[in-house]
Amino acid sequence: MAQTQQQQKLCFVSVGATAEFPALINTALSADFLSALQSQGYTELLVQYGEDGKDAFDGLMKQAQSGVESSGLKVSGFALDKAGLGRYMRRAKGGSKTMLPGVVVCHAGSGTILDALRTAVPTIVVPNSALLDNHQAELAEALSEQQYVIHGKLDNLGHALQEAEKLRQRQKEWPPVNAGMQRQGKGLKGILDEEMGFLD
Amino acid sequence: MAIILPLLVTITALLAAGIYYRLAFVLLDPKRNKPLRHGRRNPNEPTHLMIVLGSGGHTTEMLSMLTRCVQESDPAQKLHWNDYHHRTWVVSEGDNLSAARAKEFEEMASPLSTQEDLMAGKVRKATDIGPGTYEVVTVPRAREIHQPLLTSPLSSLTTMRACWDLLQKHTTKTREGHGGQAGEKDAPDLILVNGPATATIMVFTSILLRFFDVKGVSTRGKMRTVYVESWARVKRLSLSGKLLRRVVDRFLVQWPQVKREVGGRVEYLGVLVQ
Repeated sequence: MAQTQQQQKLCFVSVGATAEFPALINTALSADFLSALQSQGYTELLVQYGEDGKDAFDGLMKQAQSGVESSGLKVSGFALDKAGLGRYMRRAKGGSKTMLPGVVVCHAGSGTILDALRTAVPTIVVPNSALLDNHQAELAEALSEQQYVIHGKLDNLGHALQEAEKLRQRQKEWPPVNAGMQRQGKGLKGILDEEMGFLD
Repeated sequence: MAIILPLLVTITALLAAGIYYRLAFVLLDPKRNKPLRHGRRNPNEPTHLMIVLGSGGHTTEMLSMLTRCVQESDPAQKLHWNDYHHRTWVVSEGDNLSAARAKEFEEMASPLSTQEDLMAGKVRKATDIGPGTYEVVTVPRAREIHQPLLTSPLSSLTTMRACWDLLQKHTTKTREGHGGQAGEKDAPDLILVNGPATATIMVFTSILLRFFDVKGVSTRGKMRTVYVESWARVKRLSLSGKLLRRVVDRFLVQWPQVKREVGGRVEYLGVLVQ
């Protein structure tokens, strides 16, 4: 009966190493989002909640218990992984015998977004509006304009999941292939050469 | 006695004019002289690259850019790491992660460069400097993450002092316009930075050294500076970017929006991180 074993579909949520973003975890464990996951065929929700986030996560898990049980999802979390998040993002990308293609939901930290772009997994970026200097929202906006990611908002994360399915069909390559003005570009190397005065 | 006041005023004015002239036309002019170089790997003209890392995101972006450069498939954009005879990596005290990542990069990039040389038949023992050397050095933190702003000028001075020493760690008794003897290490030719507070202090300290032409770093065209704004900055510059915009030799951004917004000498060459 091995071949009838159900394939898994993972939604990986990452809030970053330091900046606390309880609102994102809260939304990810809300009944609405859990049922949206269920209706999109997800089987697993994995949350990276950051340093010192364990208590908050456990508390929210307790509150969300009934919702989690009724959704039938496997929900778990961890604080950080020193080896990086690439491993989890590749699992969310899926496309193997056991894993269906899933999704990454993350804060708008540049390191996390770059990890996701390199992995080429559909990504929903949710900027933390509680941050003072909110240049992160501009990054999320600019990237979603160019259709690299989906700019998610806390109040419509369920809808963003549907968008992610569409994004999967036209997943773009990262880093951008040399095109247009970048084709003639000299790159960082060209600048360093000029400053060094290398003539060849 | 009546003559003293006008005299003081005149002297002050002349001094101010002199300082302004030196800053505006000698030190901060990107067209100022560069040393003459005969080939990339001339043992008689050793080169020295300094890279300043910061914590977390800054280190990630710096190594991401450099990794992309050394692994680039387009030969015009490919960086050969061994073109730099000596590499100094600067990390903040206690930032073991950045230090480990610098080492990891060196262990990838330098052998890669060597291997490519062998395959291209480029290595000629007499005129090549081999894989070169590198060191990872630490400076005191400019500002702890939760440090009150009030005490940060003080710790910035401590950092500055460390940068001052560090920039002079390698110098040579030298002929005008040349490096030292073969294989000798000299002051950094190029300082590559991307945003952390330590990097900002390093750049300002290098300008101070050039102002007083300590060990001839100004006349010999040492310590040119390249700043890369964070990829996360789409529309506005970071604080470091604002501080360094007018004083570095090259200022690169990674979004066309911020180039339009800031203008001036700002250059946009596409996304540099990967």
